[in-house]
Amino acid sequence: MSATAAIEVRGLRREFRVRQGIFAAPKRVIAVDDVSFSVPPGSVLGVVGESGCGKSTLARLILGLLPPTAGEVLVDGQRLAQMDRRARARLIQPVFQDPFASLNPKRRVRDIVAMPLIAQGSIGRAEVERRVGEALERVGLSSDQGARFPAQLSGGQRQRVAIARALVLRPRIVVCDEPTSALDVSVQAQILNLLAELRRDLGLTYLFISHNLAVVEHIASEVAVMYLGRIVERAESERLFAAPRHPYTRALLASVLTPEPGLGVPDVGLGDVMPDPANIPPGCRFHPRCPVAVAQCSAESPRPATDAAGLVECHLARHAA
Amino acid sequence: MSALLEIRDLRVTIGSTAAVRGASLSLDKGETHCLVGESGCGKSITALSVMGLLPRGAVRETTALRFAGEEIGHYGERQMERLRGDRMAMIFQEPMTSLNPAYTVGSQMTEVLRRHRGTPRAQAVDRAAELLARVGITAPGLRLGQFPHQLSGGLRQRVMIAMALMCDPELLIADEPTTALDVTVQAQILRLLAGLQKDLGLGILLITHDLGIVARVADRVSVMYAGEVVESAPTATLFAAPQHPYTRGLLSCVPVPGKVKRDEPLGSIPGVVPRIRPGFTGCGFRDRCAEATPACAGTIPRRDLGSGHEMLCVLDPGRDGKAAA
Ligand SMILES: Nc1ncnc2c1ncn2[C@@H]1O[C@H](COP(=O)(O)OP(=O)(O)OP(=O)(O)O)[C@@H](O)[C@H]1O
Ligand SMILES: Nc1ncnc2c1ncn2[C@@H]1O[C@H](COP(=O)(O)OP(=O)(O)OP(=O)(O)O)[C@@H](O)[C@H]1O
Ligand code: SF4
Ligand SMILES: [Mg+2]
Ligand SMILES: [Mg+2]
Repeated sequence: MSATAAIEVRGLRREFRVRQGIFAAPKRVIAVDDVSFSVPPGSVLGVVGESGCGKSTLARLILGLLPPTAGEVLVDGQRLAQMDRRARARLIQPVFQDPFASLNPKRRVRDIVAMPLIAQGSIGRAEVERRVGEALERVGLSSDQGARFPAQLSGGQRQRVAIARALVLRPRIVVCDEPTSALDVSVQAQILNLLAELRRDLGLTYLFISHNLAVVEHIASEVAVMYLGRIVERAESERLFAAPRHPYTRALLASVLTPEPGLGVPDVGLGDVMPDPANIPPGCRFHPRCPVAVAQCSAESPRPATDAAGLVECHLARHAA
Repeated sequence: MSALLEIRDLRVTIGSTAAVRGASLSLDKGETHCLVGESGCGKSITALSVMGLLPRGAVRETTALRFAGEEIGHYGERQMERLRGDRMAMIFQEPMTSLNPAYTVGSQMTEVLRRHRGTPRAQAVDRAAELLARVGITAPGLRLGQFPHQLSGGLRQRVMIAMALMCDPELLIADEPTTALDVTVQAQILRLLAGLQKDLGLGILLITHDLGIVARVADRVSVMYAGEVVESAPTATLFAAPQHPYTRGLLSCVPVPGKVKRDEPLGSIPGVVPRIRPGFTGCGFRDRCAEATPACAGTIPRRDLGSGHEMLCVLDPGRDGKAAA
C-alpha cells in the first residue's frame, strides 16, 4: 500500500455483557467480531447493515470512545490507543444521528462549536472566535444563528452545528453515524450535499454509516456490509451495487424500494427469523435466514476471501466472479 | 359506486397550530391510497380525525366525512367506538402505544373480537392464531403467550397488523407501519399488506414519508404540505408528471441510484417546513418555492388536471412542457 491509510483496523473485536432479564445470567454479545479493513485517504467508506449489527460500535471503536476487547485501530498511521486525546481530536471527529441529543441545550451554538478548540488548551480567544466564525460559515449558518440555543434551530440546522463542531479543529477524518436519519428528505438532501462539498473542498475522509442504502450508494466510494458483527462483503461502491456477491447483500439490495412505480414490493426471501447478537448461530451466522444455504453453511464458518473485486465471506460466493 | 372513505375539506386546529387546513381525499374499496409528506405536515392528524382519536383540545371541522356511504362526522364517542377496531382499524406510528405491555399478545388480540362480536374465548384464540400465521409468524402458539416487549420490532408490527384484522375491517389506516423497521423487514411487511389487501379487498390509507414505498404500493397518492393536500394523482401520473413545485422538489431530493451520479448534488428544497397558525392565507409553500409569485399570497385555486389529477397551486400545469399525463 502506498499512501498511509486514513483508518486502518486490524482484528477489531468488542464484546458486551448484557442481561436479558433480572434473573438471567449475563450473556456475551459480540458486537464487532474480528473486523479488519483500511480506508484510503480522501475516500468514503459506507457501512450498511441491519439494526444491531454493530455499526455504531465500530464507529465508537474507531473514534476511541470505546476500548476494543481485542485488535487495534490506526488513524493516519498512528495507534489510537497510544494517542493523546487532544491529538486524536485534531485528526478524527464524529457526527452523530441525533443532533439534539449530542448538543448541550444550555449553550449557545457558537460556544458549542468552540468547545473542541478550547479543549485543546492552547488556542487564543481571538483565534477561537475566528475559527468558529469560519466553521459556521462553512456549514451555511449565519452569525445570528450562532447566537441561538439548539432548541431554537430546526433539525437540519442542528445537524449543521454538529458538522461545524466536527470541522472546527480541521480534522482529516469524520465518522458520520446515521447523520441524516432523523431528518426529512428535503433536509437530508441539503446535509448530504454539504457533506459531499466539504469532502471535496477539504480533502476529508469519511466513515459513513447509514441503514439507507440509496444514501450510501450516493455518497460512498466503497461499501462494507455488516452482519452480526462481521463484515460479510466489502467492495467498491459501483461493483457492490451492480453485482452483490453475498446472499445477505443481495437481500439488502432487493429490499430497497426505489421510487419507481409499477415494480411492486420484491420478495427478499429471508423468512421471519431475526438475528440475535446474543445467540450467534454456528457455521455461517447468516445461514438461518439465507435463501441459498447448503449443508456446509450450518456446520462450518466461511473465511473471508479477498480478490480484485473486494472481500466476501460466504461458502458459495468464494469462487464467484 | 360510492367511495369507502371520503374526507372533504377537513380542518383541524390544535391550540395555535393549524394542523390540517382543508384536506380532501377519497379511498375506494380494495384501493391503497398513500398520504405522503414531511414531518409535521398533518398526516397523522388527518388519520386520527377519521378514527375520532384526535388529541385533547383539537378542533375538527369538515364538509363531509363519509365511511361506506354514511356520514360519520357527527358521530359521538360511543358510535365511533363501535366502528373502531371493527369496521375500521388503525396501525399506529409507534406500535408500543397501542400494545399494552401488561397483557399477552393473545389476550389483547382476542379482546378486540370479544368486545365487538362477543366471540367465545376459544374461537377468538383460534382466529388470533390463524391471523398470526397469516402475517408470517412461524410459531403463533408461542407468540400468543408472550408479552409485547418479548418481541422484535418486526414481530410486533406483524402482531399489530394481525390485531387490526381480527374483525375483518373494511378500512385499514396504517400510519408509518414500517418506519422503525429494517429495510429487509419493511419489504416483508409491505408485501404482506399488499397480499392481504388483494385477498380481503381492504381499503388501505397508508401514511408514509417514504416516496419509495409510495411508488411501490400506492394506487393513488396525495402529497401533503403544511396541512393541505397540494397534489393528488394516480401513482404512475404523480411520478411521471408531477406538477406542484413541492412534489417536484420532494422527488428531486431522493437519491435514486442511476439517476444522480455520486458526488453530484441532489436536488433540494431550501428552508424548512413552516409552522402554520390559524388564519394563515395563501400557499404554505411560498417561502420555499422557486416559482412563487405575488399571487401565491392570495387564494390558491384547486386545479383539476383531468384523470383524477389535482393540484393546489397558481401555476399552469404543463408550464414547462411536462403536461399532466
Ligand atoms: N453499551 C452497550 N452495552 C451492551 N450492549 C451493547 C452496547 N452497545 C451496543 N450493544 C449491543 O451491541 C450490538 C451492536 O449494537 P450497535 O449499536 O453497534 O448496532 P448498530 O448496527 O449501530 O444498530 P442501529 O442500526 O440500531 O444503530 C447490539 O446487540 C447492541 O445491543
Ligand atoms: N397532540 C398535539 N398537540 C399539539 N399539536 C400537535 C399534536 N399532534 C400534532 N400536532 C401538530 O399538528 C401538526 C401536524 O402533525 P402530524 O402529527 O399530523 O404530522 P405528521 O405529518 O404525522 O408528521 P410525522 O411525519 O412527523 O409523523 C404539527 O404541526 C404538529 O406539531
Ligand atoms: S402556489 Fe405558488 S408558492 Fe405555492 S407551490 Fe405554487 S407556485 Fe409555489
Ligand atoms: Mg447505530
Ligand atoms: Mg405522523
